[in-house]
Amino acid sequence: MSHATLTCDPELLRRYDQPGPRYTSYPTAPQFGPHFQEDMLREYIHRSNEELIPRRLSLYVHVPYCSSPCFYCGCNRIITRDRTAGRRYVERLIREISLAGPLFDRDREVIQVHFGGGTPNFLRPEELRDVMRSLGQQFQLSNAPVRDFSIEIDPRFLNAADIAAYADMGLNRASLGVQDFDPAVQAAVNRVQSVQQTLAAIKACRRNGFRSINVDLIYGLPHQTSEGFGQTLDTVIGIRPHRLAVYGYAHMPHLFKPQRRIDASHLPNAEQRIALLCLAIEKLTGAGYVYIGMDHFALPEDDLTRAYDAGTLHRNFMGYTTHADCDLLGLGVSAISHIGDSFSQNPRVLPSWEAAVDSGHLPVWRGRHLDQDDQLRAEVIQQLMCRGWIDIAAVERRYDIDFHRYFADSLARLQPLVGDGLAVVERSRILATSRGRLLLRIIAMCFDRYLTAKPAAQAAQYSRAV
Amino acid sequence: MSGTEQPPRGIADDGDAFHFCSTCAFSAACLESGYDKSQLRDLHVLVEHIGPFHEGEHIFREGDPFTAIAAVRSGTVKTYVTDHEGREHVQGFFLPGEVIGLNAISQARYPSNAVALDSAILCRFSFPNIAALAMRMPGLQQQLFKLLSLDIGKAALLSGNFSADERMAAFLITLSRRYAARGFSPNRFVLTMSRTDIANYLRLAPETVSRVFRRFQDEGLIHVERREIELTDRKQLETLSSDVLRTA
Repeated sequence: MSHATLTCDPELLRRYDQPGPRYTSYPTAPQFGPHFQEDMLREYIHRSNEELIPRRLSLYVHVPYCSSPCFYCGCNRIITRDRTAGRRYVERLIREISLAGPLFDRDREVIQVHFGGGTPNFLRPEELRDVMRSLGQQFQLSNAPVRDFSIEIDPRFLNAADIAAYADMGLNRASLGVQDFDPAVQAAVNRVQSVQQTLAAIKACRRNGFRSINVDLIYGLPHQTSEGFGQTLDTVIGIRPHRLAVYGYAHMPHLFKPQRRIDASHLPNAEQRIALLCLAIEKLTGAGYVYIGMDHFALPEDDLTRAYDAGTLHRNFMGYTTHADCDLLGLGVSAISHIGDSFSQNPRVLPSWEAAVDSGHLPVWRGRHLDQDDQLRAEVIQQLMCRGWIDIAAVERRYDIDFHRYFADSLARLQPLVGDGLAVVERSRILATSRGRLLLRIIAMCFDRYLTAKPAAQAAQYSRAV
Repeated sequence: MSGTEQPPRGIADDGDAFHFCSTCAFSAACLESGYDKSQLRDLHVLVEHIGPFHEGEHIFREGDPFTAIAAVRSGTVKTYVTDHEGREHVQGFFLPGEVIGLNAISQARYPSNAVALDSAILCRFSFPNIAALAMRMPGLQQQLFKLLSLDIGKAALLSGNFSADERMAAFLITLSRRYAARGFSPNRFVLTMSRTDIANYLRLAPETVSRVFRRFQDEGLIHVERREIELTDRKQLETLSSDVLRTA
């Protein structure tokens, strides 16, 4: 199987280095509204049970706690050293699971479980086990080998026996944060983590039969240099995880308070950022990793690459996944659900989520229904993000539209990008070129109905494209 | 995009004061007898358009006084009864052009409930008026008898000891024929009924309905995309359903 090439064109990347959504959903979360409440989520779940072949389920469990603040973080998390907070949180999670579980028909198999954070391994293995047990009681967890039960791990807070305990409770994938091994960078972002710690965690995962291991790196951090980051890349390539994510650091201190502790004068400039990204692409593709899309790379034999090759790759709030067409239920504070034609999100602040769960309610804060136009655009953007091209004929057939007429505005917005060689418009498809594949979200933005109105507001809300 | 390939979303050609709807159950009989729609109006049997009824809204309920039969113009209608333990029993699904209320003709009250499964519009025919008209119009009378016997036949469709696969195949083939008879695509249509309703109607568990759909799909007999069904191996489905449909 040959894979599309990537071309790093620094001048072009710089020109298009503008803010934009990451399209883990369309419409994006800022479009969710408070009119969507618990009764509507219940109704969507009911309807999803009544489909001719109800979709399988994907469960996301959010653990908001971290023991120590990483200064680059833009996630929804709570810093504490109080381990009893974890126990109290788990008790409520189990309550939420027992409220939501019975709403789904019993023949709806759970093919994906993901613990994200925060730091899921802030919870003790026995606490995580209680959550898994509760999921097993309230849902039909799949026994198939392709099931995808994963956890995000901070290797700095991992005990020697933890991974074996995770494997024992059914987890088979892990994602480890690394960011950069350069000590100067680690000090500046308040995340000191040795190669040793990281390696020990990965070895434990392998020893315990995990199917897949992902490592997260970040470029654009303070004090980051091509030498230091290059070494990090070499080290990580030597470890050879199945998957790698290389995220661009988005410095938005007005939105994310912890980032205020990063001195902006120590950040690499736009040119250096792009050099770091190009270095990563060069080294990773040189080492045999396949570019999947957005920030993600995988080895050719990994499930993700196989799904990419087969055109069955899917993107949701957890990033890229091989399990297309699941209904997604988010559990825990701030978690997002995607049931049928709806998105909904739990309260982002802990006390609101706690209060809802304590009073026996599904904790819905906001959400939205996807109308026909949303569904159509979501599919177009999904195709772009997951395989780099839009199948015009398939979209026309499915939605009974004349693509060129329906998307006249989008195509007009796309025109300058075509002129710059980012995309090619053919009769039956629209294709991101090797230079455009690094700027998928810029291409996707042309098809986003909600972005055209107010570019100033976007700049404040979304991270930069590179 | 070609119009015929589109799954019908329950849209019948709209009639007006002078023209019958294209799916009208009675238009052929009336025209044969020399009556067009404006003449029917003069005879004071003009049909009355009712609705739209929204999803879940009742058109009539069991025990309501029977005054009229009604033809579905667009949407889908489900009829059902509730037993003394409160369990629902689905009696039938009615597509555009089909007539509900026929099983009330022998009684003074509707013996079942009729509920819209999606946005439904109907034509209401006052029964005393249409019965009187039928006495003057042999074609119309025959058409009424035909509809009555079809209604009885429909109830017989799923009696008998058939496998889940056979019943499901028969259900799909029957729907396909009914859509085809009204000018819709026979091989691609939307099932507006929930899987619980289908299961109830076929006397199967909802899980079984989905299992059979999934297996049919794996075997290449159908393609399911949410509520939309495409019959991809019609011959095999006909074969599977032949025993059930012969009995009916």
